[in-house]
Amino acid sequence: MSLPKPVMRGLLGRRLRFHLPIAFALSIVAAAAFKYTVTEPRKQAYADFYKQYDAVKEFNAMREAGIFESVRPSGE
Amino acid sequence: MFPAVFRLSTTGARTLATRFRPGHTAPLASRCYSHAKVETDEEFDARWVTYFNKPDIDTWELKKGMNTLIGYDLVPEAKILDSALRACRRLNDLASAIRILEAVKDKAGPHKDIYPYLLQELKPTLAELGISTPEELGIDKI
Repeated sequence: MSLPKPVMRGLLGRRLRFHLPIAFALSIVAAAAFKYTVTEPRKQAYADFYKQYDAVKEFNAMREAGIFESVRPSGE
Repeated sequence: MFPAVFRLSTTGARTLATRFRPGHTAPLASRCYSHAKVETDEEFDARWVTYFNKPDIDTWELKKGMNTLIGYDLVPEAKILDSALRACRRLNDLASAIRILEAVKDKAGPHKDIYPYLLQELKPTLAELGISTPEELGIDKI
């Protein structure tokens, strides 16, 4: 039984033409998925935290806790 | 997600096909915008057969030729390999002859039908020149 002649040229080119678009597409999808499941929620969490943040109130709480050296708690 | 991927990949494949089109004519890079004459497969094969047919080819030229040939995106045709094996015979280089067979099997990569086909085509030459295949010598296994 004699074997038929297979395709012997352009095999790598064919493989790349098939796989590279998929690779790029999957990479873009992975990047988009990460952006929208991780970075955007994180940014939103920070925005939400700081929307109602009162810096002076937090400073006074820290001052009363006695952690500063430049300003002592109001009692002392 | 997957239907989108396949849609993207076919459109991507179509645009990529116009961008790198080495096509069926030449394994060397040929862009669509160049005015250079594209070499046909037959011309390519004939050129390499002639290269290895040089009666007084030297070892350097044999090895350089094989290395260059292996660098292309193709598995060399049986007639090119026949010519190269005969050059090995003229140079009394059995090691290179067997190495050529190993290289060709490696070039085929995942396409397991190419190497048996080439062995079938080269069987008369291998018998005539007394070249054993790596399989016969047991050196194809690690």
